Amino acid sequence: MASDVPVRPAREGRRRRRAAIALTPLIDVVFILLVFFMLASRFLDERSLTLSAAGGGGGGMEGAMLLEVRAEGLRLSGEALTPEALAARLETRIAERPETRVILQAGEGVDVQRTVAAIDLAARAGVARLALAP
Amino acid sequence: MDGDASVLPLINVVFLLLVFFMVAGRLSDGDPFEVAPPESRTEGPAPAAPMRVLLAADGRLALDGEVMEREALLAAVAARLEAEPEAELRVKADGAAEGAALAALVADLAAAGAREARLVTMAPRR
Repeated sequence: MASDVPVRPAREGRRRRRAAIALTPLIDVVFILLVFFMLASRFLDERSLTLSAAGGGGGGMEGAMLLEVRAEGLRLSGEALTPEALAARLETRIAERPETRVILQAGEGVDVQRTVAAIDLAARAGVARLALAP
Repeated sequence: MDGDASVLPLINVVFLLLVFFMVAGRLSDGDPFEVAPPESRTEGPAPAAPMRVLLAADGRLALDGEVMEREALLAAVAARLEAEPEAELRVKADGAAEGAALAALVADLAAAGAREARLVTMAPRR
Protein backbone atom coordinates (compact mmCIF):
# COMPACT_ATOMS: atom_id res chain seq x y z
CA MET A 1 0.00 0.00 0.00
CA ALA A 2 2.64 2.43 1.04
CA SER A 3 4.90 1.50 -1.84
CA ASP A 4 2.30 2.56 -4.44
CA VAL A 5 2.44 6.18 -3.41
CA PRO A 6 6.03 7.11 -4.39
CA VAL A 7 6.03 5.11 -7.68
CA ARG A 8 3.14 6.88 -9.35
CA PRO A 9 4.55 10.44 -9.25
CA ALA A 10 7.93 9.24 -10.49
CA ARG A 11 6.40 7.61 -13.57
CA GLU A 12 4.30 10.63 -14.33
CA GLY A 13 7.34 12.85 -13.95
CA ARG A 14 9.26 10.79 -16.52
CA ARG A 15 6.34 10.97 -18.90
CA ARG A 16 6.12 14.69 -18.55
CA ARG A 17 9.83 15.15 -19.23
CA ARG A 18 9.59 13.00 -22.38
CA ALA A 19 6.78 15.13 -23.68
CA ALA A 20 8.74 18.29 -22.96
CA ILE A 21 11.36 17.43 -25.61
CA ALA A 22 9.67 18.36 -28.84
CA LEU A 23 10.66 15.98 -31.60
CA THR A 24 9.37 17.99 -34.54
CA PRO A 25 12.26 20.53 -34.72
CA LEU A 26 14.74 17.66 -34.40
CA ILE A 27 13.12 15.84 -37.29
CA ASP A 28 13.12 19.06 -39.32
CA VAL A 29 16.83 19.53 -38.84
CA VAL A 30 17.64 15.90 -39.55
CA PHE A 31 15.56 15.97 -42.72
CA ILE A 32 17.32 19.10 -43.91
CA LEU A 33 20.71 17.49 -43.24
CA LEU A 34 19.56 14.37 -45.06
CA VAL A 35 18.43 16.32 -48.11
CA PHE A 36 21.70 18.29 -48.09
CA PHE A 37 23.86 15.17 -48.06
CA MET A 38 21.69 13.48 -50.70
CA LEU A 39 22.05 16.42 -53.06
CA ALA A 40 25.67 17.31 -52.33
CA SER A 41 27.31 13.89 -52.39
CA ARG A 42 28.21 11.87 -55.39
CA PHE A 43 29.01 8.23 -55.71
CA LEU A 44 31.34 8.12 -58.70
CA ASP A 45 34.16 5.64 -58.32
CA GLU A 46 37.09 7.87 -59.18
CA ARG A 47 40.56 6.52 -59.75
CA SER A 48 43.74 8.02 -61.06
CA LEU A 49 46.63 7.34 -63.39
CA THR A 50 50.03 8.90 -63.13
CA LEU A 51 51.02 10.79 -66.25
CA SER A 52 54.45 12.08 -67.01
CA ALA A 53 55.64 14.03 -69.99
CA ALA A 54 58.29 12.63 -72.31
CA GLY A 55 61.62 14.41 -72.34
CA GLY A 56 61.06 15.76 -68.85
CA GLY A 57 64.35 14.54 -67.44
CA GLY A 58 63.11 11.01 -66.88
CA GLY A 59 66.11 9.40 -68.55
CA GLY A 60 67.11 9.28 -72.17
CA MET A 61 65.11 8.10 -75.11
CA GLU A 62 67.58 5.30 -75.57
CA GLY A 63 65.94 1.91 -75.75
CA ALA A 64 62.52 3.50 -75.41
CA MET A 65 59.64 2.09 -77.40
CA LEU A 66 57.23 4.32 -79.25
CA LEU A 67 53.60 3.38 -78.85
CA GLU A 68 51.46 5.29 -81.29
CA VAL A 69 47.72 5.49 -80.90
CA ARG A 70 46.26 6.36 -84.26
CA ALA A 71 42.72 6.63 -85.46
CA GLU A 72 43.16 3.42 -87.47
CA GLY A 73 44.86 1.41 -84.74
CA LEU A 74 47.87 0.92 -82.50
CA ARG A 75 51.48 0.93 -83.63
CA LEU A 76 54.50 -0.17 -81.65
CA SER A 77 57.80 1.17 -82.95
CA GLY A 78 56.17 1.90 -86.29
CA GLU A 79 54.59 -1.51 -86.70
CA ALA A 80 50.80 -1.82 -86.80
CA LEU A 81 49.67 -4.47 -84.31
CA THR A 82 46.47 -5.73 -82.77
CA PRO A 83 46.09 -4.86 -79.07
CA GLU A 84 46.72 -8.50 -78.08
CA ALA A 85 49.89 -8.80 -80.17
CA LEU A 86 51.07 -5.45 -78.88
CA ALA A 87 50.54 -6.48 -75.27
CA ALA A 88 52.44 -9.73 -75.86
CA ARG A 89 55.28 -7.82 -77.54
CA LEU A 90 55.47 -5.40 -74.64
CA GLU A 91 55.41 -8.23 -72.10
CA THR A 92 58.37 -10.03 -73.67
CA ARG A 93 60.27 -6.76 -73.84
CA ILE A 94 59.52 -5.96 -70.19
CA ALA A 95 60.56 -9.46 -69.18
CA GLU A 96 63.93 -8.89 -70.85
CA ARG A 97 64.45 -5.32 -69.72
CA PRO A 98 62.09 -4.25 -66.93
CA GLU A 99 63.24 -0.64 -67.07
CA THR A 100 62.12 -0.11 -70.67
CA ARG A 101 60.51 3.26 -71.22
CA VAL A 102 57.44 3.50 -73.37
CA ILE A 103 56.63 6.77 -75.09
CA LEU A 104 52.99 7.09 -75.94
CA GLN A 105 51.91 9.35 -78.74
CA ALA A 106 48.29 10.08 -79.52
CA GLY A 107 47.60 10.81 -83.17
CA GLU A 108 45.00 13.01 -84.74
CA GLY A 109 41.39 12.10 -84.12
CA VAL A 110 42.23 9.97 -81.07
CA ASP A 111 40.31 10.92 -77.95
CA VAL A 112 41.41 10.71 -74.34
CA GLN A 113 39.37 7.56 -73.76
CA ARG A 114 41.36 5.65 -76.38
CA THR A 115 44.61 7.08 -75.08
CA VAL A 116 43.74 5.88 -71.59
CA ALA A 117 42.81 2.46 -72.99
CA ALA A 118 46.30 2.26 -74.50
CA ILE A 119 47.83 3.32 -71.16
CA ASP A 120 45.83 0.56 -69.48
CA LEU A 121 47.09 -1.94 -72.03
CA ALA A 122 50.69 -0.96 -71.39
CA ALA A 123 50.19 -0.96 -67.63
CA ARG A 124 48.75 -4.47 -67.71
CA ALA A 125 51.71 -5.60 -69.82
CA GLY A 126 53.93 -4.48 -66.95
CA VAL A 127 55.21 -1.16 -68.25
CA ALA A 128 56.25 0.91 -65.26
CA ARG A 129 57.72 3.89 -67.04
CA LEU A 130 55.34 5.43 -69.49
CA ALA A 131 55.50 8.95 -70.79
CA LEU A 132 53.19 10.99 -72.97
CA ALA A 133 54.71 12.69 -75.97
CA PRO A 134 52.94 15.76 -77.33
CA MET B 1 2.96 9.53 -25.54
CA ASP B 2 1.50 7.53 -28.41
CA GLY B 3 2.40 10.20 -30.92
CA ASP B 4 6.01 10.27 -29.74
CA ALA B 5 6.38 6.51 -29.84
CA SER B 6 5.19 6.28 -33.44
CA VAL B 7 7.66 8.93 -34.59
CA LEU B 8 10.70 7.15 -33.16
CA PRO B 9 11.03 4.47 -35.90
CA LEU B 10 10.82 7.23 -38.50
CA ILE B 11 13.64 9.12 -36.81
CA ASN B 12 15.68 5.93 -36.63
CA VAL B 13 15.33 5.34 -40.34
CA VAL B 14 16.07 8.96 -41.21
CA PHE B 15 19.18 8.92 -39.02
CA LEU B 16 20.37 5.75 -40.72
CA LEU B 17 19.84 7.34 -44.14
CA LEU B 18 21.69 10.44 -42.97
CA VAL B 19 24.65 8.42 -41.71
CA PHE B 20 24.67 6.40 -44.95
CA PHE B 21 24.82 9.48 -47.14
CA MET B 22 27.45 11.12 -44.95
CA VAL B 23 29.71 8.07 -45.02
CA ALA B 24 29.12 6.74 -48.53
CA GLY B 25 29.00 9.97 -50.46
CA ARG B 26 31.75 12.39 -51.20
CA LEU B 27 31.03 16.08 -51.32
CA SER B 28 31.31 17.25 -54.87
CA ASP B 29 33.13 20.36 -55.85
CA GLY B 30 31.26 21.78 -58.79
CA ASP B 31 33.06 21.98 -62.10
CA PRO B 32 32.54 25.08 -64.27
CA PHE B 33 31.83 22.86 -67.28
CA GLU B 34 30.88 19.26 -67.87
CA VAL B 35 33.84 16.89 -67.73
CA ALA B 36 33.31 13.14 -68.03
CA PRO B 37 36.55 11.35 -67.11
CA PRO B 38 37.67 8.39 -69.23
CA GLU B 39 37.20 4.86 -67.96
CA SER B 40 40.22 2.87 -66.92
CA ARG B 41 40.92 -0.58 -65.52
CA THR B 42 44.06 0.57 -63.77
CA GLU B 43 43.35 1.00 -60.08
CA GLY B 44 45.01 4.01 -58.58
CA PRO B 45 44.01 5.84 -55.42
CA ALA B 46 41.23 8.37 -55.74
CA PRO B 47 43.08 11.63 -56.31
CA ALA B 48 42.90 14.33 -53.67
CA ALA B 49 45.49 16.71 -55.05
CA PRO B 50 45.37 20.38 -54.16
CA MET B 51 45.43 21.63 -57.75
CA ARG B 52 42.77 20.55 -60.18
CA VAL B 53 43.19 21.22 -63.88
CA LEU B 54 40.14 20.56 -66.02
CA LEU B 55 40.21 19.89 -69.74
CA ALA B 56 36.85 19.95 -71.50
CA ALA B 57 35.99 18.04 -74.65
CA ASP B 58 36.23 21.26 -76.67
CA GLY B 59 39.64 22.16 -75.24
CA ARG B 60 38.57 24.71 -72.63
CA LEU B 61 40.72 24.74 -69.51
CA ALA B 62 40.03 25.51 -65.87
CA LEU B 63 42.10 25.58 -62.70
CA ASP B 64 40.36 24.94 -59.37
CA GLY B 65 36.95 25.70 -60.80
CA GLU B 66 37.91 28.86 -62.66
CA VAL B 67 37.87 28.92 -66.43
CA MET B 68 41.21 30.23 -67.67
CA GLU B 69 43.22 30.77 -70.78
CA ARG B 70 46.17 28.46 -71.31
CA GLU B 71 48.89 31.02 -70.51
CA ALA B 72 47.15 32.25 -67.36
CA LEU B 73 46.65 28.69 -66.17
CA LEU B 74 50.27 27.71 -66.73
CA ALA B 75 51.44 30.87 -64.97
CA ALA B 76 49.16 30.15 -62.00
CA VAL B 77 50.38 26.55 -61.79
CA ALA B 78 54.00 27.69 -61.96
CA ALA B 79 53.37 30.23 -59.19
CA ARG B 80 51.71 27.62 -56.98
CA LEU B 81 54.54 25.15 -57.54
CA GLU B 82 57.05 27.86 -56.71
CA ALA B 83 55.36 28.30 -53.33
CA GLU B 84 54.91 24.58 -52.59
CA PRO B 85 57.11 22.44 -54.84
CA GLU B 86 55.64 19.15 -53.61
CA ALA B 87 52.06 20.08 -54.51
CA GLU B 88 50.44 17.39 -56.60
CA LEU B 89 48.48 18.15 -59.70
CA ARG B 90 45.33 16.41 -60.74
CA VAL B 91 44.14 16.56 -64.32
CA LYS B 92 40.53 15.82 -65.06
CA ALA B 93 40.17 15.48 -68.79
CA ASP B 94 37.01 14.68 -70.68
CA GLY B 95 37.06 11.26 -72.30
CA ALA B 96 36.09 12.84 -75.62
CA ALA B 97 38.87 15.45 -75.61
CA GLU B 98 41.74 15.06 -78.05
CA GLY B 99 44.48 12.76 -76.81
CA ALA B 100 47.07 15.06 -78.36
CA ALA B 101 45.56 18.01 -76.43
CA LEU B 102 46.01 16.07 -73.18
CA ALA B 103 49.61 15.21 -74.09
CA ALA B 104 50.31 18.86 -74.93
CA LEU B 105 48.74 19.94 -71.63
CA VAL B 106 50.85 17.46 -69.65
CA ALA B 107 53.96 18.64 -71.47
CA ASP B 108 53.12 22.29 -70.74
CA LEU B 109 52.45 21.49 -67.08
CA ALA B 110 55.78 19.67 -66.91
CA ALA B 111 57.44 22.75 -68.36
CA ALA B 112 55.69 24.80 -65.66
CA GLY B 113 57.32 22.60 -63.02
CA ALA B 114 54.86 19.77 -62.39
CA ARG B 115 56.92 16.62 -62.72
CA GLU B 116 53.90 14.39 -62.59
CA ALA B 117 50.20 14.79 -62.95
CA ARG B 118 47.48 12.41 -61.90
CA LEU B 119 44.79 11.81 -64.46
CA VAL B 120 41.33 11.28 -63.02
CA THR B 121 39.62 8.18 -64.39
CA MET B 122 36.56 6.18 -63.53
CA ALA B 123 36.00 2.49 -63.02
CA PRO B 124 34.63 0.90 -66.20
CA ARG B 125 30.89 0.44 -66.26
CA ARG B 126 29.87 -3.16 -66.54
